[in-house]
Amino acid sequence: MKPSAVKPSAVNPSAVQSAGAPGRSLADFTVELDVYSGPYEWLLALIMKDELEIFEIPLRELVETYLTSHGSGERPHSLERDTDFVSSAASLVLLKSRTLSPIFDAEPEAEEEALTPDQLAEKLTGYLRIRRGAESLRERFAANAGFYPTAQTVQPRPGRLKIRTERLEAAARRALSRIVEPPVRHLGPITVTVQELAALIRTSLARGPVSFEVLVRDMDRLHSAVAFAAALSLAHEGRLRLLQTEPLGPLTLEAPA
Amino acid sequence: MSEPPTPAPATPAARIEAVLLVSPRPVSEAALKSAAGLSDSELRDAMGLLGERYSPRESGIVLRRVAGGYQLATNPVCASAVERFREESRPAPLSNAAHEVLSCALYLGPLTRAEISAARGVNSDAVVRGLIERGLLAETGSDRESPGAPALLDVTDEFLAATGATSREDFAPLDSLVGPEELARVRERVGAAETGSEQEPATPEES
Repeated sequence: MKPSAVKPSAVNPSAVQSAGAPGRSLADFTVELDVYSGPYEWLLALIMKDELEIFEIPLRELVETYLTSHGSGERPHSLERDTDFVSSAASLVLLKSRTLSPIFDAEPEAEEEALTPDQLAEKLTGYLRIRRGAESLRERFAANAGFYPTAQTVQPRPGRLKIRTERLEAAARRALSRIVEPPVRHLGPITVTVQELAALIRTSLARGPVSFEVLVRDMDRLHSAVAFAAALSLAHEGRLRLLQTEPLGPLTLEAPA
Repeated sequence: MSEPPTPAPATPAARIEAVLLVSPRPVSEAALKSAAGLSDSELRDAMGLLGERYSPRESGIVLRRVAGGYQLATNPVCASAVERFREESRPAPLSNAAHEVLSCALYLGPLTRAEISAARGVNSDAVVRGLIERGLLAETGSDRESPGAPALLDVTDEFLAATGATSREDFAPLDSLVGPEELARVRERVGAAETGSEQEPATPEES
């Protein structure tokens, strides 16, 4: 049996993400593994998004691939590139070790402590059977690859469509099971409109240029967001100009010349 | 002016061939008989004829018996030509985790996501999502006795077709996959009591 997993988010992702940070020193490093083939940065992204399981990634092979590319006549790695790789690889090692170790999950640990040797043996033998079943499935999938059924689909004539309720229910389940409602609990009732804050901005501009920070100083988060939308809307209509000297710097609103 | 010649009526084999050609999924014997208007014996004779016509040794199209029905599919020896024509590569092989999840659903299913994770000892939700998207796994009901009535997952007809199986009975029984010696070694390593011979897994013949 495998111990319980720790999600990638349990590890500080900053080190892993550093490989994809501005500069992108590892952008041209590609890997060829059994479970993945392509850019190293994408591999990191897939792991972070839970689309690849970390315990399937052979880290030793990954490191050897990086070292081999170093000595194969290509341009020598820069210190920045090596640092980025070491940093991200170390995070992967930490993530994999935590995934394989149950020590960070208090409740399952308590549960496992309560297992008797007989119960543990039962779980292990159950997993062993599932594992063997998986191996036999792998062989069957390989033996049956390459059969392509017809791609043609004939549209049923209107009025002649037979719908079996169980197939319809299964199709609805499949379609609806993918929908994940975004959480909106953190949103309060919206009590202000873009028009109201656009009027406020126009009134403020009548007295001259105004800083966006000053404008929203006494507003809550929702009002600030709607005020920004109102400012963008007015700028789009040509009723004001947005001035910002540097990215994320102070934003000034002024009436058009 | 002479009348145009009347076309000869289609033979049973021709009618079945036509139905199979337009179906992307395996067609059951009952559906074939109904669509082609055939008796049991006519269907049997026609399938024998088509089996010879679509012999893998001579034809680029083969007749498969999978997922509880019949299916016309391209011969795997022609797969590379098909893939070049479609300008697509063969789907990436499934991961070890995906095979384990399918093994859980095949042998223990229908079961919930939590039960799959418990059987594997690791969270499997992401793998389940990928398999549902590939059509190999589907939600087939819900466990109404559990809190929240979680969905029950099971393998699909696409899974049976992809593994060349007619039904679940085509797979070796779960208990036959691990030998008694190996199970005894596992028990010995964790210090569990030895099981009696009556508790040893059944052989395939016994199952």
